[in-house]
Amino acid sequence: MALETITEKKVLIKGNYAIANAAVMAGCQCYFGYPITPQSEIGEFMSGKMQELGRGYVSAESELAAINMVIGACSTGVKAMTSSSSCAVALMQEGLSYACTDELPVVLISVMRGGPGLGNIYPSQGDYNQTLKGGGNGDYKMIVLAPSNVQECFDLTYKAFYLAHKYKNPTVLLADGFLGQMMEPVEMKEYPYPEIDNSAWCLTGAKGRDGRVIRSYGPLAEDRCEFLENLFGKYKQIEENEVEWEEHNTEDADILLVSFGSTSRNVRTAAKICAEKGLKVGTLRPITLFPFPNKRLAELAQKVKKIITVEVNMGQMVNDVKLAVNGKVPVELIHKGVGTPPSPEEIVSQIEELV
Amino acid sequence: MEKDFIIAGFGGQGVLLAGEVLANGFMLDNKNVTWYPSYGAEMRGGTVNCTVVAADEEVSAVQKSAADFIIVLNQASFDKFTSKVRKGGTIIVNSSLAKIQKLRNDINYVFAPITEIAQEKLGNIKMSNILALGIVSKVSKLISIQTLEKALDNVIPPNKKNLIPKNIEALKLGYEYDLLAV
Repeated sequence: MALETITEKKVLIKGNYAIANAAVMAGCQCYFGYPITPQSEIGEFMSGKMQELGRGYVSAESELAAINMVIGACSTGVKAMTSSSSCAVALMQEGLSYACTDELPVVLISVMRGGPGLGNIYPSQGDYNQTLKGGGNGDYKMIVLAPSNVQECFDLTYKAFYLAHKYKNPTVLLADGFLGQMMEPVEMKEYPYPEIDNSAWCLTGAKGRDGRVIRSYGPLAEDRCEFLENLFGKYKQIEENEVEWEEHNTEDADILLVSFGSTSRNVRTAAKICAEKGLKVGTLRPITLFPFPNKRLAELAQKVKKIITVEVNMGQMVNDVKLAVNGKVPVELIHKGVGTPPSPEEIVSQIEELV
Repeated sequence: MEKDFIIAGFGGQGVLLAGEVLANGFMLDNKNVTWYPSYGAEMRGGTVNCTVVAADEEVSAVQKSAADFIIVLNQASFDKFTSKVRKGGTIIVNSSLAKIQKLRNDINYVFAPITEIAQEKLGNIKMSNILALGIVSKVSKLISIQTLEKALDNVIPPNKKNLIPKNIEALKLGYEYDLLAV
């Protein structure tokens, strides 16, 4: 099933198709990409739909080419995107660093699979560090949104386009193979965000005005310092305005479970099972990974006795949680290297071991 | 209420499509539902399966280690999934392509020669998957064939809508199959 319709009725659809539909409905004018499992449905959908709508679709010769094509398109102010996965997103890191420096509204859909290296096509959350800490050079940050179900794949794709243009900053939707391949009912509503006026900076030909330059090169040290201060001023604004998270039963919790993305579903169920066993367990799920809910975690660290993060990697977000709580409470890790999230029962038994 | 279904068979039997129809049906009944395919480095001709979870509340987990209803369309799937039927659950077996054999006494067995019925009554073994859903409807009592008919319309693409009447016939054949025959 792969249709593009605005409807009050729900449709059962794969996460990948939900993302692709949202991108089209958000007004994405250009898609550039190179196929890789588990996100190939996005490019497949776009290859037909974008041409049908008279928009741009290019099956790029490589991931490096794809991200640079997005940079080119974004510099003209239009909504443009690429989508990829793990080892192929690795190939885009140079472009992402450039796009952050160029302050371009690049949208990247990153559907994580098993790593490192070529890895495998099973789901994973192993690219938390890749996305949040960057594989590109220099000081830069991307806005990162982490959906936990197919409806959020749709809604947060909308949000990714909005935030990318609002802040002129590359924005990543960090999904995984589990979300990409599963189907759930989705309500496809209209794009709810205001359109951002890009006319003050975009490259549209210099007729009737002075020429403009978008570049990442900054030869003078002093100028570069000022540029970076400004860039990080923008990141601070993003941190103040855009942090989003979801929490349950944190008010009188002894243990706080922190997880992101698809893993959070099983974590919520695990928390319910714990509650039946008389354990006071709350859950917190960052929806934005940058900006990270540092303040809220620090607040909760004053109340809870222990924080446990649950991840499908060897322990990546756990480090950010530790930074946020700054030693106030012990932070433990429950994890699985790669694959679908640990089952609620597995999580519960590991919580019982840790408590 | 939360119920788990696994549909399994070999590639080409329409296992994933049957799951999609079932999941669509639960969606039309306003349940929360998830569909997840067997996924990995699969081989042509190998076994394939999908898990459908339908719940009144939030789905507790998309992937389950056991299910309440398991539909197996060939021997390999029968062998693989017998152990995954939850205690008191039901396994629906395509006896055209699997031996009638009851290895457990804590689950319910339903045997039906699904492929043969599809061949004899519909002249098309490709309808086996939808016919099996008719049996699921009857056995589980969790979804009506009227809802599954609507679900078929959701799933079958516009250029193949002419196949809907035949599929509805398959649903009914499955539903009306005399389970006491075995």
